[in-house]
Amino acid sequence: MNPLTLSLVLTTMISGTLIVMTSSHWFMIWVGFEMNMLAIIPLLTKEHNPRSTEAATKYFLTQATASMLLMMAAITNLLYTGHWSIMKLINPTASIMMTMALTMKLGLSPFHFWVPEVTQGIPLMSGLILLTWQKLAPLSVLYMIMPLINMNILLIMSLMSIAIGGWGGLNQTQLRKIMAYSSIAHMGWMLAVLAYNPTMTLLNLYLYIPMTITTFMLLMINSTTTTTSLSHTYNKLPLITTLILITMLSLGGLPPLTGFLPKWAIIQEMTKNSSIIMPTLMALLALLNLYFYTRITYTTSLTMFPTANNMKIKWQFKNSKQTMSLPLMITISTLTLPLAPMMMILD
Amino acid sequence: MLKIIIPTVMLIPLTWLSKSNMLWINSTMYSLMISMTCLPLMNQFCDNSLNLSMLFFSDSLSTPLLMLTTWLLPLMIIASQHHMAKEPPTRKKLYITMMILLQIFLIMTFSATELIMFYILFEATLVPTLIMITRWGGQTERLNAGIYFLFYTLAGSLPLLVALIYTQTTLGSLNLLLAQYWIDSSTHIWGNSLLWLAYMMAFMVKMPLYGLHLWLPKAHVEAPIAGSMVLAAILLKLGGYGMLRITMMLSPTINFMAYPFMMLSLWGMVMTSSICLRQTDLKSLIAYSSVSHMALVIMAILIQSPWSFMGATALMIAHGLTSSLLFCLANSNYERTHSRTMILARGLQMILPLMAAWWLLASLTNLALPPSINLIGELFVTVSMFSWSNFSIILLGINIIITALYTLYMLIMTQRGKYTYHIHNIKPSFTRENTLMSLHLVPLLLLMISPKIILGTTY
Repeated sequence: MNPLTLSLVLTTMISGTLIVMTSSHWFMIWVGFEMNMLAIIPLLTKEHNPRSTEAATKYFLTQATASMLLMMAAITNLLYTGHWSIMKLINPTASIMMTMALTMKLGLSPFHFWVPEVTQGIPLMSGLILLTWQKLAPLSVLYMIMPLINMNILLIMSLMSIAIGGWGGLNQTQLRKIMAYSSIAHMGWMLAVLAYNPTMTLLNLYLYIPMTITTFMLLMINSTTTTTSLSHTYNKLPLITTLILITMLSLGGLPPLTGFLPKWAIIQEMTKNSSIIMPTLMALLALLNLYFYTRITYTTSLTMFPTANNMKIKWQFKNSKQTMSLPLMITISTLTLPLAPMMMILD
Repeated sequence: MLKIIIPTVMLIPLTWLSKSNMLWINSTMYSLMISMTCLPLMNQFCDNSLNLSMLFFSDSLSTPLLMLTTWLLPLMIIASQHHMAKEPPTRKKLYITMMILLQIFLIMTFSATELIMFYILFEATLVPTLIMITRWGGQTERLNAGIYFLFYTLAGSLPLLVALIYTQTTLGSLNLLLAQYWIDSSTHIWGNSLLWLAYMMAFMVKMPLYGLHLWLPKAHVEAPIAGSMVLAAILLKLGGYGMLRITMMLSPTINFMAYPFMMLSLWGMVMTSSICLRQTDLKSLIAYSSVSHMALVIMAILIQSPWSFMGATALMIAHGLTSSLLFCLANSNYERTHSRTMILARGLQMILPLMAAWWLLASLTNLALPPSINLIGELFVTVSMFSWSNFSIILLGINIIITALYTLYMLIMTQRGKYTYHIHNIKPSFTRENTLMSLHLVPLLLLMISPKIILGTTY
């Protein structure tokens, strides 16, 4: 893309999110969301093929609907309370509508249907931005209105998301769809603890973003989007197979890797608040996620899949992909569990 | 404890920076030296544990298991030399790194004071083992084996995490040193039963209990030799160790919860021993015999009497050494015939007489011949089970007989009789293999002299 256009688009997208995160007026939050959505559409259609157009259209329609729901909720609140401030979303109708709108933007169940299809149709870099940066704005609004959200809806939606994120990803071999379902499940975990201790939501977000960035960067190095082509990695870049192994296991939440920390913290917060069945169910459903991550590691690192190449290794060229600070990301996303006591002080 | 952990961690740079021809020698020798460092921990107080720091402690239950863990690493490295000989140096180093990583996690698990740290490391031992089984196993079934292993264990242990955190929030601390002073006076509400279940299921799956044991034959059979050794010798004992620690904490009034597991263990013990009589696969036979011995340990821990705890601990150590020894012997067969079928390598006594001596000693200890420590374990368990319920002696007696039967079956099938005609061009026993077997047997036989160090906390 033309660098000028790219910088314009990225600036608008970033400033849209920043407007959302720093506003206290519902109208400005709506403005921020709209700016964000409109600016990302060119990024989604970077490749000019019909699949990208379809993905961008689906994204636009769901996000526009969600923004309109958000506006409706804000105006309902205005009707009943007489002001636009976001701190006082007291009316239950407005609160429920707002929660629906924001979870639609996040891609939580039962509004998750757009996530796999949009993620599948766009290039890997755009998918990365979609699954990480776009989560910041809705989650910050949810964090701000947290005391007034109806807990039943939140918990049901998060449990359904974890279940659907788990079961939905089981039948996938397309890596972007797998990452989409992974995002649905992780969003479910994040929202489950929102009512109890929103700091843990943020902790999960802060660890989910590096893990997803790492995964996408590893996929971008190989330029692969299917499990089959990822399984050829041992032939091209054998070190990457080890990195994929530990990143996938970390995403699945396996100790002693970092991915275990958000799950542990969330289970701890929920148990402290005498909710025991819910975290057990969530933890067991997270095993489904672990299954398809382990399946990816099986095809990639732990076995040598048949390839068309007869040589032990292919030619290794200089890496031309943008993999900004991959070692740092890998360290953050796999090795920071010993820092857990430090993160618990966020309590 | 750091004097054991830091050298073990430094074994990893040792592996990666060794020259290719010194790789095996270096790692074996230094890991043997580290196991010597563990020996001073045996100097235990009789009424208290060695409280080394805020994070690590060692008492007379964890010390024998620690010794077993550190003793086993050089043995695993010795055993892996042959089948790794043709791999490129990077992969050899990766394999040894996996073993060392596993060792680090195991040392920390056995000496952890805080139960959540125990849990994290308990789960952490799964990752290197999974990698060892799936990457370096022999057959295609290893993929399935890895999945079964991972998911059975995880599904059992996630409720344990929730239960541990719940106990931490209600009781305030999960430090094991404090746990011995709690008096749990909980009433008989069904929530407490669920809590007991949540605690125990993780360890039941790990032991394994009879109904949940499907992962074990798969994992043991498909794993490479080092994987089989560490699985049989140590990882099963993690379950036993966990159960021994937790039952001190849980309410003694929840004894009725133990009955289903007692039934499963009693019946499963006899069932898995009987299956051993009909196995054609040598490693599978040893795997099922592990299930049978561990069922004894489960029963001993569930009755919670001082003698049974002694028997459980002794049986864990004895079974660890014996099972690992049997797997090494089976592997020496596998490396020669590349098949695990028992009848393909018969009459080995004629051809490899020294190995036959090791087979004989291994079989004798497996069937709990007096005065070996296996006998001490089984005897203590049998006696305390008899005192718990007179009728259990029937099943226990049947199990002892069937254990003897299948062990002798295995011995006679592989060693005695006429050798097969295709066996005469196998390589003779390597010194390395004889060393391996004798390094297994020497602790086993020497412990006969002073078994009190493996009798655990209630001695």
